[in-house]
Amino acid sequence: MTAQSPSSVSVQRRATGWTLSVPVQSALYLSLSGLTIWTVFFTTYPPIHDAVHSLRHHTGLVSCH
Amino acid sequence: MSKLKRFTLTSAVCLVGIILYGWIGLSQLSQPSIQLTTSPVLSQIKPFEAEADEPQAPSQLTLQASDRAGHALKNARIHLTLLTPPKTPWFTTDFPIVEGTTLLDMETLAPNGKLTLQQMLPIRGDYRLRVNVTPTVANAFAPIQETLNLSVSENWVKYRNLGILAAILFAVGLGGGWVIGNRQKIQPGEIAPQRVRLLLSGVTVVAIAALLFVNVSAEFAQSHGSMAMSHETEEAPLSDKPAKLNTQGLAVELSGDSSAMVGQPAKLQVSVVDTKTNQPVTEVTLKVTATQLEHHWGTFAYQGIPDRNGTFAWQQQFFDGAPHRIEVEVAPQAKATRQFKPFQVAQNVSVEGVAPPLQVRLIALAYFTGLVGLGLLLGLGLQRRRKQSLRLT
Repeated sequence: MTAQSPSSVSVQRRATGWTLSVPVQSALYLSLSGLTIWTVFFTTYPPIHDAVHSLRHHTGLVSCH
Repeated sequence: MSKLKRFTLTSAVCLVGIILYGWIGLSQLSQPSIQLTTSPVLSQIKPFEAEADEPQAPSQLTLQASDRAGHALKNARIHLTLLTPPKTPWFTTDFPIVEGTTLLDMETLAPNGKLTLQQMLPIRGDYRLRVNVTPTVANAFAPIQETLNLSVSENWVKYRNLGILAAILFAVGLGGGWVIGNRQKIQPGEIAPQRVRLLLSGVTVVAIAALLFVNVSAEFAQSHGSMAMSHETEEAPLSDKPAKLNTQGLAVELSGDSSAMVGQPAKLQVSVVDTKTNQPVTEVTLKVTATQLEHHWGTFAYQGIPDRNGTFAWQQQFFDGAPHRIEVEVAPQAKATRQFKPFQVAQNVSVEGVAPPLQVRLIALAYFTGLVGLGLLLGLGLQRRRKQSLRLT
């Protein structure tokens, strides 16, 4: 087992603190939500489009083809 | 001026005024006009519902041209252009490519000044019908040009589902904000939960990257806006009836575009010729139908007569990216000397779907993600308030 130097521990703590901060976690959550919405309602990727075709045509504000 | 002269002059002015007023009023009331009626009634017309559980029928539109006295105009030629509602990028319909385009363009003879057709209306909004009525007999009546409006309201199911989706997105944001805002202090020596949270954050980043890759690849895979969806690129099957047929002394040919693209009208034409004289035939009835072949719903139907060249030509837009079948039944007119057994010609048209504009999709994405964001902010705010109240107690 190798001991970590105090400086590397400090960097690791700061990185951990930044990653787990409310703004970063919120941004990650919002990005993942936005991409999931895009994938379900707006992507033209054929397998996904065909699977949710009916849902898209039955939801207001969603354009299909 | 004597009283008598003044009275006479005043009376004359009044009389002329009354006559002029009456003449102008009468002429305004009894202008030649075109009346539009629909079946079902306008309030019951709903736009086309894709993937509907129940079969749908196109709406019937009837145009009647009348003279000043309200009598039907005889021996008229009617040119109709049916335009779809204007573009609405901030509150799009499900067929944005169809918005602001020509749905139908046709010219036909109307012996009684009447044109009846059936047309599936793809989206909500205000359709415009540009109608031009001209006489087939010189100077029989003055040509009429009118633009009529046809307002179609949205299917309520779409609003209901939008409301449900908005509530779900807001709840997702609220839940996320509540959890993220409820950060517990890390206890000394407590490493595992932190590692788990870091791992989850890493997985989230990977998921975002994967989704980005899939979606960006799909956008680039599109060739010039056409849609690479399995059913969108389907080739039209071969028709079981010929497009050209010689029978019972008649040569009938259905011609025009064999492939089309959503948003652009396709040109079609049917012509009837006498095989013995090689002259055009006009004393027949043409019954035109256009049917979507994936789910077998009618998109357009019209029954009329060919022009003096034995031809009926029209342009129509296929708004659904799927193969369509055009069928024309040729039948004898009731009082015509030429009588024969009705027969059909047909042609299948492959229709290429077009992906909605990226801008329209991004606007809707901004609305939906904004709802999640609003919920998230509210969740974070509620957590902050809860913590403050806990500290005070």
